[in-house]
Amino acid sequence: MRLGIPHDASLDGHFVDGAIGYLTITTGIAFAVLVVVLLVSLVLYRARAGRPHGTYMHGDRLGDRTLTMAIGLTLFLAVDVTLAVRASTNLRERFWRYPDDDPNALRVEVSARQWSWTFRTAGPDGRFATADDVVTLNELHVPTSRPIYFKLRSKDVVHSLYLPSFRTKIDAIPGSTTRLWIQAQEPGRYEIGCAQHCGVSHYKMRGWLIAAPDAEYNGWLARAEIDSRLRYETRDPTVPQADKVWDDGWDWETGL
Amino acid sequence: MTAPATPTGPVEGGDSASGKRASGDDGQPIQAIHAAPTGVLRRYVFSVDHKVIGRQFLFLGLIFLAVGGVMAMLIRWQLASPGRPVPVVGRLLFGGSGGVISPAAYTSLFTMHGTIMIFFAVTPILIGGFGNFCVPLLIGARDMAFPRLNMLSFWTMAASTATLTASFFVPLGSAQAGWTAYATLSTAIGAPGTGQTLWTVAVYLNGASSVMGAVNYITSVVRLRAPGMNYMRMPLTVWGFFLTSMLNALFVPVLGAAMVLLFFDRVFGTQFFVAGSTIRGGGDPILYQHLFWLFGHPEVYILILPAWGIVGDLLSFFARKPAFGYRVTVASLIAVVVLSCVVYGHHMFTTGMSPLLGESFMLLTMVISVPTALLFLNWLGTLWRGAARMTTPMLYCVGLVFTFGIGGLTGLWLADVVADMYLHDTFFVVGHFHLIMAAALLLATFAAVHFWFPKMFGRMMSERLGKLHFWPTFISLNLVFIGQMLIGYAGMQRRLYDPSAYDFLRHLLPWNKHISQAAYVLGAFQLVFVWNFFYSMKRGKPAPANPWQVGTLEWTVASPPPHHNFDHIPVVVRGPHELGHPAAIARGKDWLAQDEVIE
Amino acid sequence: MTAAGATRSRRDIDASIGMVIFLATVTMLFAALLLAYAVLRTQAPAWPPAGAPPFPRAAAGGSSLVLLAASFALRRARRAGSSAWLRAGATLGVTFLALQVSLWRHLVAGQLGPGHGPLADVFFALSGFHALHVAGGLVAIAATGKRRLGLLVTYWDFVAAIWLIVYFAVCVL
Repeated sequence: MRLGIPHDASLDGHFVDGAIGYLTITTGIAFAVLVVVLLVSLVLYRARAGRPHGTYMHGDRLGDRTLTMAIGLTLFLAVDVTLAVRASTNLRERFWRYPDDDPNALRVEVSARQWSWTFRTAGPDGRFATADDVVTLNELHVPTSRPIYFKLRSKDVVHSLYLPSFRTKIDAIPGSTTRLWIQAQEPGRYEIGCAQHCGVSHYKMRGWLIAAPDAEYNGWLARAEIDSRLRYETRDPTVPQADKVWDDGWDWETGL
Repeated sequence: MTAPATPTGPVEGGDSASGKRASGDDGQPIQAIHAAPTGVLRRYVFSVDHKVIGRQFLFLGLIFLAVGGVMAMLIRWQLASPGRPVPVVGRLLFGGSGGVISPAAYTSLFTMHGTIMIFFAVTPILIGGFGNFCVPLLIGARDMAFPRLNMLSFWTMAASTATLTASFFVPLGSAQAGWTAYATLSTAIGAPGTGQTLWTVAVYLNGASSVMGAVNYITSVVRLRAPGMNYMRMPLTVWGFFLTSMLNALFVPVLGAAMVLLFFDRVFGTQFFVAGSTIRGGGDPILYQHLFWLFGHPEVYILILPAWGIVGDLLSFFARKPAFGYRVTVASLIAVVVLSCVVYGHHMFTTGMSPLLGESFMLLTMVISVPTALLFLNWLGTLWRGAARMTTPMLYCVGLVFTFGIGGLTGLWLADVVADMYLHDTFFVVGHFHLIMAAALLLATFAAVHFWFPKMFGRMMSERLGKLHFWPTFISLNLVFIGQMLIGYAGMQRRLYDPSAYDFLRHLLPWNKHISQAAYVLGAFQLVFVWNFFYSMKRGKPAPANPWQVGTLEWTVASPPPHHNFDHIPVVVRGPHELGHPAAIARGKDWLAQDEVIE
Repeated sequence: MTAAGATRSRRDIDASIGMVIFLATVTMLFAALLLAYAVLRTQAPAWPPAGAPPFPRAAAGGSSLVLLAASFALRRARRAGSSAWLRAGATLGVTFLALQVSLWRHLVAGQLGPGHGPLADVFFALSGFHALHVAGGLVAIAATGKRRLGLLVTYWDFVAAIWLIVYFAVCVL
C-alpha cells in the first residue's frame, strides 16, 4: 500500500518538499519528546501505595517560568523562525517573482469554469485575442525548461488550478485575475486538478499538462496553430467572437 | 438557613451571626433565592435554571453529534466504496438513486456534516451545555446574570435547528457549498434553491444564540463571582468559557454580517459577493472569504478554549497536584485570544493575496504557536511529580494532550506558505483540523461528561464502560485522521466525490478503505458511550457530593444541586487546585475546598 | 436604603454591563457591514457608480431627525418616569420605520433598488439591517415598558448613532 507522492517534475517544487521534510523532522522530534514525557510522567508519577499524593508546587517560581519560556522560545526559533525565513526567501526570490520581463516565458491565459479548464496561448503574433491564438480544452502543452506564466480567471465560481507534480496551486476567482508561474524540468504527462469545491462535478474537473522538449513542443504548436486558425475561420459568423470564453475583454497586460 | 423566598424574593436572609455573609464585597446583597418552579413547562421546557438549560443544550448537541456522525460514516462509505449502494439505510436515504450516494447528495453530506458538527454539536455541547451548567456553580453563583436571556438563547438555537432541518426538505435540497459556503458557489450563481438560503438563516440564528450566551457568560463571570474569588482563583474551566465568550461576542457578529450580505445577494439580488461590471463596479467573492475567516479563525479558538480550560483543571485534579503555571496558562490563553484575530489569512494563502499580507499572516500564525506550546508545557508540568489517578476522565484528558499535540503541530505545516501551496485543500488539512476539532474536542467532551455527570444527574457513570469506550475511540480517532493527513500529503484534494476520477489518486483507494474501516469502528464504539450515558442515568451508582475529591465549588453542594445551587453563597479563600496541600495532608486528605477555612 | 432598593441597584449594574456587551456585538456586525461597503467602494471604478441615477441624499437624511427625536423623547421619559413620553418615543420610532419603508419604495421605483449597483446595494443592506434593530427597539419598549428606561435610552441612543454613522458613511462621504 504505497503512499505515492506525485513525482516532482518542477523547477522549484523541491523547496516545498524541503519545507515539508524539515517540518516532519522538527515536529516529529517535538511530538516524540511530548509523548515520552507524557508516558514517563504517567508511569513514574502514578498514584500508588508509595505515592499517596502529588507534590505540592504551583510551577510559578522564577525557575519554572524560565524553563517553560526557554523551551517555548527554542521551539519558536528552531521551527517557526527557521521556516518563516526560508519561506519568505523562497517566496520573494522564486514563487512570487513573476516572469513579467522574461521574454522566454510562455504566457498562458486560463479560464476556469464549471467544470473544465480552457487554456489560451498567444500564437505566432504574440498577442492575445487574435485569430491565431491557440485554445485548448483540459489539456495544456508546454515546453520544458521555460517559465510558464499563468494568469487565471473564472467564469462562475471559485476554482483552483492544482498541479500536484509541481507542488502548487492557485485559485481562479470570478471578477479577479490571479497568477502563477512554474517551470517543467522533465517531459511527461502531469495531471491537473481542481482544488476548490466548485459544485457537483468538482471531482471531475481535471486535465493534463504535457511537457515536452522544444522540438517536440514546437511540432505540436505548429499543428495546433493550423487547427486553431481553421476553427476560427470556419466559425459561425453570427456569433460575434470565435470563442466566447474570452468575451470579457481581458487584456493580459492590464489583467493584473 | 434561609427559607425559600417568594418568587420576587427578598434578599438572602442575613445570617451574619453564623459567619455566612449576606452581602458581597461592595456591601450589596448577593443573589436572591427564588422559589423552585413547578409544572412540567416551567421545570423542563421553559426553564430559566442554568442547570436545566445546560442539559437542554447538552441533549440537543448530542443528538446532532449523532446526526453529524452518521453523515461522516456515509461520507467514508462513499470514499471507500465509490458508487456502491449504502448498506441497510441506502434505499431509505438515497432512494432516488437506488441506494447509491449521488454527487449532489455527497456535496450535501459534507456541507451539512461540517455545519452540524461545528454549530449544532460542539457549540451546544461544550459552550451551551457545560458552559451553562458549570459556570455559575464554579464561580459560586445561584444562576447566570440573565436567566431569561439564557432561556431565549436555547430557544433561538432550537429555532436554528428547525430552520436547518427544513432545508433538507425543499426542492433542490439542502445547502451544498461546504460549511464554508464560499461565494460565488453559495450565491444564486452556484446554488439556486431555497436550501442554501435557509442555511444562511439557520447559521445566523445559531450565531444569535451564541451572542446571547456570550453576553450572559461575560456578565456573570464579571459580576457574580463569590466573595474571595478573584480572577486568579477561578478554575481554568471558567477562564475557558469566559475567554470563549469574548471571542463569541466580537467575531460571531462578523459571520452574521457575512450571512446578512449573502442573504441579500441571494434574495434581493444585490452584488456584494458577485463580481459586477467593469463600468459600474460590484462585489468581490474574496470579500466573503475575508468576512468568513475573520470569524472562522476565532471560531476554532472559540471551540477549543473551553476544552483547554477543562483539561487544565482535570489534569490537575487527577494528578492530585496544583495546575502548573496557572498564571502563565491564563496569560497564554489570553495571548491566543488576542492573536486569533490576526491570523485568519492563512486560510486564503492561495487566493493571490499581496506578498506583504501573506508573509504577515504566516508570521502571526507561527507566533500563535508559542502560547499554545506553553499550554502543553504547563500540562506536562502538572503531570510531572503528581500522583495520577487513571480514571476515565483522566484518560480522555491524556488522549486530548496526545491528539492535540499532533493536530497543533501540523498546523505549523499549513502556516508555512510554501508548504501550504501544496497542502492547501488536500486531506492534510482535513486530518489536521479533525485532530483538533474532532478528536481533541470529542475527548474533552467525553471527559467533561464523565466528570460532571455525577453533578448533573446524581449518579456515576461506569468506569469499566468508560475505559471500554476510551481505548477504541482514541486509537481509531488517531488512525482515521493521521491516515487522512497521509493521503493529503499524497495529494488527494478535499471534497472529492470519487478520487479515482484522477489517475494520480487511484492507488489511494486501499488507504481510503482502511481509513473508513477505522471510522466504522469509531462510530460503532460510540454506542458504548451512549449506553453508558443512558444506563447510568437510571442505574448508575448514586453519586456523593464530591466523588472526585476536588476543591472547586460545584462539589460543595449536593449531586445534583438544589434549584438555588448554594444555600449560602460561599466565601472563597484559595485557588481551585489546592491538591497535596500540607494543611490537607495534616487532615488526612490531599485536597482543600476553595471555601474551606483552616486556621 | 431598603433591601429591595439595594437589590435593584445591583441588578441594574448587571443589566448595564450586559447591554454594553450586547452593543459591542452589534457594533462588530455593523463594522463588518461597513467594511464590506469600504471594499466595494474602493474597488469600484467610480463612486457614485457610473450609469446609476443620482442618489437622493437629502431625502435619505430627513428621517434622521425623527430618530433623534425618539431618543430625546425616551430621555424625557426616563427623567420624568412618564408613560406619555415613552409612548411618544415609540410613535417616533414607528414613524422612522414608516419613513424608511417609503424611502425604499421610492428608491426601488427610481432604479436605485437592490441589484442596481453597489451604492444601492450598500444602502439597502445597511439601512435594512438598521431598521430591523429599530424594530427590535420597539419590541423592547413594548416588553419592558417603564421598568428599564435606562437601558432603553442607551439602546435608542446607540441605534441613532449607528444610523448617523451609516448615513454619513454612505450618503455624505
